[in-house]
Amino acid sequence: MTVNQHLTSFAGVPVVEFSDDGPRPAPAGEVAWAIRTEYDGEPFEAVFARFLAAVDPGEVTRLVVGYWGQGYETSSEGPLRLLVEAAPRLPKLTALFFGDIVMEEDEISWITQCDITPLLAAYPALERLDVRGGNELRLSPLASTALKVLRIESGGLPAAVVRAIGASDLPALETLELWLGVGEYGGDAAIGDLAPILGGERLPALASLGLMDSEIEDEICAAIASAPVVARLSRLSLSMGVLTDDGAQALLSGQPLGHLRELDLRHHFLSDPMVARLRAALPQVVLLIDEAEKDENPEWRYVAVSE
Amino acid sequence: MTAITILGYPGDRRVLGFTAACRAEGLRPPRVLSWASLLDGSLLDGALLDGALHDGAAPAEGPDFPGLLRVDSPGEDPVADALLRGPGDPARVGGGARWHATLTAALERLRAAAGPGLTWLSDPGDIAVMFDKRRCHARLHAAGVPVPGALPPVDGYRALRDAMAQAGWERVFVKPAHGSSASGVVALAARGGRVRAVSSAVPAPGGGYVNSLKVARYEREPAVAGLIDALAADGLHVERWVPKAGVHGRAFDLRVVVTGGTPTHAVARTSRTPITNLHLGGQRGDLAAVRELLGPARWRQALDVCAQAAACFPATLMAGVDLLADTGLRRFLVGEVNAFGDLLPGLTGLPGGPAEGLDTYTTQVRAVTSGLDPGQPWKARTWKTVPCGT
Repeated sequence: MTVNQHLTSFAGVPVVEFSDDGPRPAPAGEVAWAIRTEYDGEPFEAVFARFLAAVDPGEVTRLVVGYWGQGYETSSEGPLRLLVEAAPRLPKLTALFFGDIVMEEDEISWITQCDITPLLAAYPALERLDVRGGNELRLSPLASTALKVLRIESGGLPAAVVRAIGASDLPALETLELWLGVGEYGGDAAIGDLAPILGGERLPALASLGLMDSEIEDEICAAIASAPVVARLSRLSLSMGVLTDDGAQALLSGQPLGHLRELDLRHHFLSDPMVARLRAALPQVVLLIDEAEKDENPEWRYVAVSE
Repeated sequence: MTAITILGYPGDRRVLGFTAACRAEGLRPPRVLSWASLLDGSLLDGALLDGALHDGAAPAEGPDFPGLLRVDSPGEDPVADALLRGPGDPARVGGGARWHATLTAALERLRAAAGPGLTWLSDPGDIAVMFDKRRCHARLHAAGVPVPGALPPVDGYRALRDAMAQAGWERVFVKPAHGSSASGVVALAARGGRVRAVSSAVPAPGGGYVNSLKVARYEREPAVAGLIDALAADGLHVERWVPKAGVHGRAFDLRVVVTGGTPTHAVARTSRTPITNLHLGGQRGDLAAVRELLGPARWRQALDVCAQAAACFPATLMAGVDLLADTGLRRFLVGEVNAFGDLLPGLTGLPGGPAEGLDTYTTQVRAVTSGLDPGQPWKARTWKTVPCGT
């Protein structure tokens, strides 16, 4: 699977492209403005400058940053610097999607990110941050009393980023979603790197946890089975990864999961009897589960998004 | 008294589809000439051709359209394929240059043998250009039809990377210069030492490459270089990879069939891989969703671009135009024009247009029998005055 379509909504509101040659009238109601360049369009910096001039930046609450160009030199550092510099002009920005880039523009594992720590420092009121792309992604431990949603989509999430999240103080964080990806694309987090998240000591408000798209989804399940954080969750996603009967068995043998409102296991390699056992064991839980992926050869089992 | 004649692969889906359309329109069933008989010379041997084109062997009653020839694909006829490309696995990639030379020479021989009394629904010269992606691209570009940028000729992987660096392009489609569908097409991304290729071509056990129904990906440079170098032996056409717009979580492009100058049929093809061809895991997408995404003005613009592309082949009744919309939905670019691009079973024409409710074959039959003067080349396209679907 690949990501093939730009966001059409973000943080609960429709996405409006700021990409036409002239400014558009602001639609009624709140929107998430999308700012991006094209494969041979004007530089991202110019689009961003036009955006700030065309809208009232003081009223912008949600931003989607898309394709910023190609090449080694074109990491996300340029757009990040622009956002950091513009922070005083965007006082109401509370939700940011950083990297709405689809496969046709750049593969998820080729999107070149940077150290995104300065974003949170520049926008202390940010309540939601979504990032796509794990390549070159760096993060220092964060401290935010505002951040409620943190999502990172990647084909390979560096262990150092996972550890930094685990070491962050995020007392308001309600939703944490990490696409861990595969080692081939830099997703080198081991189960131990997830321990602080699973312990949940710094995540007192966490209600929705996704540890997804992982080659070691079974190991994650085994850890989930005794993870302290699980008791406070209403939603858990172990989807998109290489989940087999071993992982599901670990879930069934571990701590009760009946308090969950929703358990997402879509994209899996479970047998039909195991799916039936899960359904029977969790009658009150909304179990999101689809047809098993084909796996004639266990060597060929794959996560949903990596490339 | 004759019927329409088809040059094709007797009994295949295309021939059966067109035959059914003739019957449905009250025509006699067409006579079928096989590509194999044209290619092995037996068709042009003596009186056979004259009999095939002009004698009264047509079995049923019906109107008469003497001397009309529809050229269809040799399809999956292994005999024709061996005559076109030489003996070997029909699934193998390559041999396009020979395929093209043999096919076009055979059509020219037929044209010479049949003489001016034969009216071609597709002009052999147009077919020759459509099946040479370099010439097709050049013709479209010269006519002002929007096409992706193309690299100058490259003869292998090294030259390709140099040309990409020169142009500042990281992502290209590498296409065998000749041939149809996605055979041997490679979507290539390269950034320094990192490289990634997606293609329907997979290594064959005995060497070389074969077409697979699933796309394969290559991420080791020697493997990518080996693939490109193997394809380059037959000539390459390299275009910039223009990011395609998405709908319902998949990238899409459009196949638009233009009949007699009017865009009559459209299908959205969607895929999660860079290659959208329907037989490579691409799906028929939700055309209504695409139209809604584009809005009426840009939908009309898209169809106009397709008509413009087909107009580059004025002596040809039908052209299948592959059209992509960029991610900003502002530019439409023609990827290919397909001479045999009307195999779209069950697809009916655009509502509000002249082909509403009709499949691609019936539309062409009707164009011949009602809208167009069969004695004239398709330059006389009277359908052009019919508004297309809105």
